[in-house]
Amino acid sequence: MAAFADLCISGTNDKKRLQSIIETAAHLGYSTVAINHLVEVQPKKQEIGKPKCVSELFDHFPIVQGRSRPIRVLNRLTLVVSDTSHFRQTADFKFYDIIAIYPKTEKVFHAACMSCDVDIICIAATEKQPFHFKRPPVFGAIERGVFFEISYAAAIKDSTMRRYTISNAISLMETCKGKNVIVSSGAEKPLELRGPYDIANLGLLFGLSEGDAKAAVSANCRAALLHGETRKTALGIIRTVKKSQPADEREDKEAPPSKKAKLDAM
Amino acid sequence: MAAHVTDQQLRQIRSILLEGWACTGCDVRGPGFSEDCDWFSIRCGNELRKRILLKSLSPQISAVKNNVKKKRTVICPFSSQTSAMFSELQKCPRNVLVCERSSFMNEKSRHDKHVSQHYFNYKVSVFIPHCGVPPSSLSDAMRRFTRFYLVREVPVFELLGEECLEKTVRTGRFYALSYKTRIDQDDVVALLPTGQLILSVVKDTYEQLGLEGRPSQYAHKRPMRYVVVIDLTDKSMAPGSKRYDRVLWALREKVPLKTDFLMACHSVVGTEAWSLPPCLSRYPWKELQASVDTQTLRDLPCPVLHGDDLRGETACEPHAFLEWLGAVGLGIGCENEATSFLSTYECPEPRTLVDQAVLCTVTGLLLPEDIHSLLEELRRYFDQPKSSSWLSLVVHGFADSPISWGMAEHGFHKGGENFYSFVLFKNQDYWLHMGTGANDGCPP
Repeated sequence: MAAFADLCISGTNDKKRLQSIIETAAHLGYSTVAINHLVEVQPKKQEIGKPKCVSELFDHFPIVQGRSRPIRVLNRLTLVVSDTSHFRQTADFKFYDIIAIYPKTEKVFHAACMSCDVDIICIAATEKQPFHFKRPPVFGAIERGVFFEISYAAAIKDSTMRRYTISNAISLMETCKGKNVIVSSGAEKPLELRGPYDIANLGLLFGLSEGDAKAAVSANCRAALLHGETRKTALGIIRTVKKSQPADEREDKEAPPSKKAKLDAM
Repeated sequence: MAAHVTDQQLRQIRSILLEGWACTGCDVRGPGFSEDCDWFSIRCGNELRKRILLKSLSPQISAVKNNVKKKRTVICPFSSQTSAMFSELQKCPRNVLVCERSSFMNEKSRHDKHVSQHYFNYKVSVFIPHCGVPPSSLSDAMRRFTRFYLVREVPVFELLGEECLEKTVRTGRFYALSYKTRIDQDDVVALLPTGQLILSVVKDTYEQLGLEGRPSQYAHKRPMRYVVVIDLTDKSMAPGSKRYDRVLWALREKVPLKTDFLMACHSVVGTEAWSLPPCLSRYPWKELQASVDTQTLRDLPCPVLHGDDLRGETACEPHAFLEWLGAVGLGIGCENEATSFLSTYECPEPRTLVDQAVLCTVTGLLLPEDIHSLLEELRRYFDQPKSSSWLSLVVHGFADSPISWGMAEHGFHKGGENFYSFVLFKNQDYWLHMGTGANDGCPP
């Protein structure tokens, strides 16, 4: 299996709280976390804004418990969309490592599954799912490599939301049969995080099998991250990196350039 | 006898085979499916629900059967009444316990083979009831455990150097395991005394490494982990040969794997202790001694064991006994008071109250040779008359080791236990319980 990841930690402006959440996540054993920036998509054109740079959070990122590498922190954008026409890909998307969409209506869900360029589709955890999951869009999303996300922080806070989370998750499992599911926290406080093996057990309550539940916290999260990375590449194969020419290289070229070029060619 | 198999049965059988349930129809201890196994039984609890003649199954199922990995016989608790969704909730991750009973005086006793084949041990705990102070010979044996080294940031290709091979692998008693790497998340490297280098790597590393390996046995849908085994004592791996150069190139240039290592080499009695060769001592290293902890427990309820009753028909059952032993080792109270909500563990019946008992724990990289000498020391405990009729030795393997016994692959699903426990009796009889978790082969 792959390393454990929690792809939804609520982003706040409170730096200390974010630091403590990330430290708790590293202590629990998560190797990758993604800070969520939630944006309600407005009908008028709106600025989504760049996320804060991750390296400003820590000088030295906390080491993941039981391993020798520091935790990896990414940025994620979640768009709450109620109308298909509101979803527009802007230039700001490239600053985020993962793009997620939280569909509010059936039409948006269908569009998100079949055509929108997103990595994750969020399943409602705080309210009863307003629409049913139909097979064609769900299977279309699975084929495209889009993941369905269930978040469990609401379930920890309140018993009614626990019922909604579990019932929404089970109705999703009936349709998708446990494929392409990730479970993440959506934590706003460090106390709302749970360890990865506990979440793998929680997945059993959602109707996932043992292997699927563990994959939901590890391998599927890794696949969602890779899906997000391919958005910055051409067809997922070619990636361009801007290379800056160092200043001293330019100074060395004093000899006749043509002769040097011939030697280099040989 | 079902000659015709419906689609639903086919799905059930396939899920059972792939989830790791073995055939209960052939009663063979060891590999789950044997070639002459004809029947496949689906049991619910203890009730035999269905018996399906394997020969009549479609070629698909026969192909699946041939691919099924070594799993132990278990009773599958799924019931056809509950929906497919919640059948998962009734199952627990599989665990296997193999119990053996024999005597040390028996020349065919395989206790030394089991001890020596379990290469990576991290904790040994000895429990002696009716004893106040551990005997001095026992404390000495524990203090004589081989010192081990923690070497940081060692590139794996260093282990292949000619000089390094001379001082480590060619002694035949060298053990190395990567430290702070998880078997289900990271690349794990282990070097066995038999000269095998095991690289249990994640998919990304394997695809970049370029060495030949096989997918892990405990893959779910797509293999995310691959195991590469390189025999360093093989003729084809002699330094200078093509294969050796390729492995060196892969580990030095393709993916420069670098981990912390726990290393130890058992030195023969009489010779000087082994020390790190220069090729390894240039990296930051620390010499460590196995830490010993001794406790005297008072007024402890203790089960009564009879040497010839392994299955627990008159006395306690092996699972219950091991659970109690684990609770004692962890300091969990077994009184099961009505007011306590922390623990409902109970000492299995029949039981006695023991006024004092000794619990010694040794932690570190413990070598099988040292454990063998400790076992010999414990056998000599009963040479003098003692009030205890039994004592136990529990050896835990590393949860993150790539192998459990011999070359059997070990994985970590929800727990990575691979332990064995000796219960020694006065008449040199012993019980041996070997237990493994979900992603593990059957113990030998």
